[in-house]
Amino acid sequence: MKLLMIDDDTGLCELLSEYLTAQGFQIECVHDGEQGLKQALEHDYALILLDVMLPKLDGFEVLKQLRQKKLTPVIMLTAKGEDFDRIFGLELGADDYIPKPFNHRELLARVKAITRRIEHITSLTNNSSNKLSVNNIIINLAAREASVDEHPLSLTGTEYEVLALLVKHAGEVVSKEQISEEVLGRRLASFDRSIDMHVSNIRKKIAEFNSAERIKTMRGTGYVFIQGE
Amino acid sequence: MSLSKENSKTHFAWLKHPKHFLFFKIFLWFWLTVIGTITALVFLSNIATNQVSNEDLHGPMLKNLQYTAKGIERTVVKHNKAVADILMHPRLAKRKLLYLNSDQPEHSITSRTPPNEIDLSLINFTKNMTPQIIFTEYYQAFGPIKIDLPEGTFYLYEVDENHQTPFFVRLRLMPIWLKVLIALLASLTLSFIFSRNLIAPINHLKQAAVKLANGDLTARADIDPNRQDELGVLGRDFNSMATQLEQLISAQKRLLADISHELRSPLTRLKMATGLAQMQTPEANQTYLLRIEKEANQLDKMIADVLQVSRLEANSQTLSLHQQSLQVIIDHVLNDAQFEAKQTNKQLLVEGQLNIDIRCDESLIASALENVLRNAIKYAANTITLSLSLSDAIYIEISDDGPGVEPQNLTKLCEPFFRQSDARDRTSGGTGLGLAIAKNAIAAHAGSLTLHNSQPNGLCVRIALPLGQQ
Repeated sequence: MKLLMIDDDTGLCELLSEYLTAQGFQIECVHDGEQGLKQALEHDYALILLDVMLPKLDGFEVLKQLRQKKLTPVIMLTAKGEDFDRIFGLELGADDYIPKPFNHRELLARVKAITRRIEHITSLTNNSSNKLSVNNIIINLAAREASVDEHPLSLTGTEYEVLALLVKHAGEVVSKEQISEEVLGRRLASFDRSIDMHVSNIRKKIAEFNSAERIKTMRGTGYVFIQGE
Repeated sequence: MSLSKENSKTHFAWLKHPKHFLFFKIFLWFWLTVIGTITALVFLSNIATNQVSNEDLHGPMLKNLQYTAKGIERTVVKHNKAVADILMHPRLAKRKLLYLNSDQPEHSITSRTPPNEIDLSLINFTKNMTPQIIFTEYYQAFGPIKIDLPEGTFYLYEVDENHQTPFFVRLRLMPIWLKVLIALLASLTLSFIFSRNLIAPINHLKQAAVKLANGDLTARADIDPNRQDELGVLGRDFNSMATQLEQLISAQKRLLADISHELRSPLTRLKMATGLAQMQTPEANQTYLLRIEKEANQLDKMIADVLQVSRLEANSQTLSLHQQSLQVIIDHVLNDAQFEAKQTNKQLLVEGQLNIDIRCDESLIASALENVLRNAIKYAANTITLSLSLSDAIYIEISDDGPGVEPQNLTKLCEPFFRQSDARDRTSGGTGLGLAIAKNAIAAHAGSLTLHNSQPNGLCVRIALPLGQQ
């Protein structure tokens, strides 16, 4: 499985590639934003690790331009505590973020959580086509695609997973903790807004085609996908 | 008066204690001096305070009057008529009011009956003078011209009853009480302006110094840059001092933040390298690596705290504000705190509830409460009390029964890295930034965090958050 790391800290890149290679991944490193964007667009990677502070083109800009063409999963490497950074990253369509300095075990867990989904999907594709349809939203589990009133939605991997999870449990409250654990492969940290950000992105994308409210917020508990009108 | 506006506490203090204000001293002394000078002038010089004023008569008016006098004289002698008849003759009487003053008052005659308000006796004092213009309150008279007639000697005056008295003459003719009042008012205004002018820059300086002392480093004295006197120079010196201070302090804070930021990259690499080493090291040596990892985590926490404090202090922290139930945040923090208290065999009591929604950055509020609670648990002997109440604002009080804090250290406690005992005990694992973070986090929500010693012992931290935030 091929990963791309875009970070100007060459020392960290070396250590990280050694570590991830030992864990069975293939890893390529580039050290500036421009080069990183070019690589990401030319090749298909299973996952991109993207630093925010980059020479030539900053991480947000790389992500923005990448998302116009591709939905490759992206984990942003942000500086810890800078709340704005990660919220902005998630808004632009990052799949998850990990604050620097990170723990190697934590990083590995996140990488695995996202890449595992892809493996899981490729195995599903071989099965019979499996579709879910609730309230004009169709989830094609095999193709990993979702559509509203026949319009395909361009969702990132994480957004798709969140929506699929909510549709699977349509009419029930799905807690944020459950979403975080099933989709991001991690426990929800206290006052973590990342699930809210992903849900907000999904709502915006659905609203482009249909303005009816599909996902309802249950304050303090989680979200419900509305079943029937 | 701007004096009263400078802060609400001393709003009317200047009324109660005028002696404490330089403004009143200067104002009073200056005013008294001005009044004294005027009084002395009035008494020393003989400023006419009567209702009449006069000057020598010159020019065509004098010639005209002399001509009229000669005419009367000639007519009386020639036609041998009584002077009264000539004076009453319409040709003369129509034109102007003529007044013939005789040495015997009962023989004085006028060309027609003057209006009531005209008191001709006012001009009698000029009888032996050269021709004059005499100004009185209601009229203006020219004369005297001496006329020798068979009936006796007369002094001719021409009276102009409609004449508007010139302004400066009217001033001179004002009653004495009005003159005094005007002098008083003028000197009062002058003294006031003078004292204001002198005191205003001092007040600006005072306000700026108070703000600066309270930590507002952007405070500057509002001094007119064109002012060249000592006060102007003092004001500018004060401002340049404040600028210097601001630069030094912000440079020091920025340095701390920059260093911390730069420390992150090597720390990330250190953690990564430790991870790699852990994969390849035999079980026996793992304890050292675990220790390295633990210390790296501690370093990481300190750096994060320093950065958070400096961001909060510089107001560059972006608050992600959400409407949130305060009780939910408190319960969340309490979960961990109860656990922590139990582990150290201390009791955490909770009084009251705060079922209210506020718009806040929940993680900041939570970290503030967490830091204060952790501090209280650390120093408490047996019990920690958290009391929640709601009145004009939201009040959260956290008190412990520990040794408390020496009064002179109470304000310093919220400074980064301040520790009570000089021996920096690290056993508790704190970074010395907890209260600084808490105070700044509460301040970012327009609230306040104050410390005081409770009776008989222990420290009490009182957090107040305003209701209905923007």
